[in-house]
Amino acid sequence: MSSATPNHNPSRHPATEPAWVRRLLIGVALLFIGLFLVAPLVSVFTQALVKGPGYYWQAVSNPLARSAIGLTLLTAGVAVPLNCVFGVMAAWAVAKFEFRGKSLLLTLIDLPFSISPVISGLMLVLVFGEQGWLGRYEDAEHPWFPWLQQWLNTHNLKIIYAVPGMILATVFVTFPFVARELIPLMEAQGRSEEEAARVLGASGWQTFWRVTLPNIKWGLLYGVILCNARAMGEFGAVSVVSGHIRGETDTIPLHVEALYDGYDFAGAFAAASVLTLLALVTLAVKTWIEHQNAAQNAPADKP
Amino acid sequence: MSVEVSQLVKKFGSFTALNGVNLRVESGELVALLGPSGSGKTTLLRIIAGLEFPDNPEARVAYYGEDVTRVSASERKAGFAFQHYALFRHLSVFENIAFGLRVRPAATRPPEPEIRARVEKLLHLVQLEPMARRFPGQLSGGQRQRVALARALAVEPKVLLLDEPFGALDAKVRKDLRRWLRQLHDEIHLTTLFVTHDQEEALEVADRVAILREGRVEQIGTPEEIYDHPASPFVYDFLGNVNLFSGRVKDGGVVIGETEFALPGRTGEVNTTAVAFVRPHDIRITRNPAGAKTFPARVIRSNAAGPVANLELARLDGGTPFTVQLSKELFQELAPKPGEQVHVELKNVRVFSEDYSI
Repeated sequence: MSSATPNHNPSRHPATEPAWVRRLLIGVALLFIGLFLVAPLVSVFTQALVKGPGYYWQAVSNPLARSAIGLTLLTAGVAVPLNCVFGVMAAWAVAKFEFRGKSLLLTLIDLPFSISPVISGLMLVLVFGEQGWLGRYEDAEHPWFPWLQQWLNTHNLKIIYAVPGMILATVFVTFPFVARELIPLMEAQGRSEEEAARVLGASGWQTFWRVTLPNIKWGLLYGVILCNARAMGEFGAVSVVSGHIRGETDTIPLHVEALYDGYDFAGAFAAASVLTLLALVTLAVKTWIEHQNAAQNAPADKP
Repeated sequence: MSVEVSQLVKKFGSFTALNGVNLRVESGELVALLGPSGSGKTTLLRIIAGLEFPDNPEARVAYYGEDVTRVSASERKAGFAFQHYALFRHLSVFENIAFGLRVRPAATRPPEPEIRARVEKLLHLVQLEPMARRFPGQLSGGQRQRVALARALAVEPKVLLLDEPFGALDAKVRKDLRRWLRQLHDEIHLTTLFVTHDQEEALEVADRVAILREGRVEQIGTPEEIYDHPASPFVYDFLGNVNLFSGRVKDGGVVIGETEFALPGRTGEVNTTAVAFVRPHDIRITRNPAGAKTFPARVIRSNAAGPVANLELARLDGGTPFTVQLSKELFQELAPKPGEQVHVELKNVRVFSEDYSI
């Protein structure tokens, strides 16, 4: 039937290229995806299992690996909530109010994106390191805050080459994610719903919890997920401030590097597979959230 | 009186939105704030609601005699309907209306059954009972505006403030809704101020109309007062079509061309140039000028589509063309043709002493 009326063949859209062009383009795209996305992903898991499941299990459950996984979850667990709060506050200020220095604040929010992570780590060493401005010891070259140094001394607290420094580095590097996600969203939504809530007698907190937060919740979740993915995977900045004390200041990425440098490739890939799994879970959650968001916004998109 | 503002000044950067506004609204009145864009009417409404604050220390806003100048919007609790409704998009119609009751502190919050009863009652009042579970995104513009009104009324405000309540609606819905608003006001007698730039809307709905111009109240009065006795050329022009005739004022009259028309109540002026204002429906045309004071003019074109006929004419001695409104019957009786010469008679001529140009 369709061969009798070729002009009405539904698959033959006037804007469609000849079949061989289509096949070529699709083929190139698939080849690219296969080479650069699927092959590395598969190789991580095959390399990890090359010495058998027993070795894999041992590699991901030995004390060093468990410490690295724990520290990764700890840094992400502290950095993500902090940046969630900072990000919402910054986005709220930037999107809903007019003030002097707003563009300067926007630039500062973006700073961690534009600075190399290694430099970020180095800056922290210069500020919080033992010889730094906020250094720990009384013989620091420029004791700017002697009371802070005294306090750190008394409580025997170390920042650089210790967990606090790694958390600081992660917070710094992942700072823009939440704010950047929320600012355009909040600017687009405007202030009128908040004003309506105020006129109806809601307090500032009620307005935030009942009106602002529900309106930004999907954007916020999305920002949190991106922030979390980066926090768990961060290498450069964390590497500079960690000091590489095995079993103490190693996160998963640092642990992978240490194993790889020690020629334990199967172990390195096993640890890497844990991080990869975390990333895949993150991606799945992100996709689910986008799906939910689309479903909820579909009928209520018009203001 | 229930709402009184005095000496409000508000600037946004170099733009002066309000420049010394005084206004008194009696209890139970429906007052329209009418003016062109940039006249400060929305700013005035937002200051009354507490969403903006005046710049000058001597400014006063009072609700029922109580000074609320520095009281925040959340404590004033005026009912406010926003131009684009500002409904909470994540809440159902029901929860939108209940919002103002639910955010009250526990001590003054009505119990849940009472909240439900009150929302049901308001849904009935705004004729939206079947829509209670819908979300704002699923409603038409007119329905959203009614939800916004119900939400504002739920907190039992002493004052209802509406910012361009019908501005974003199409012409048909707008007419229905403004009739409905008038009926609603007659039922609940809540002191209401609404902002509009549509003079027809203001004249049809309001008890009194305040005309704003460049941050000041130019005139306030009943629709009849301001239409029939505009205080300034601006008000005259803003409230409808008007023709301008240049002429000379003489003792008790104005001379246009060769003809003198009476100006009741204006004596003592001697031969000054002036501009006379005449509404298109206050102009008569005739072919037989016997006895009447007329001047000659030529018909340029005519348009009889619609309920009345409009004619465009030009004076024989020059000047800009002017328009005349005739009833259909009179138009058919006269049957004026383009190019034909007729005689023009003016009624209700107004002359303002200050210089004015449109």
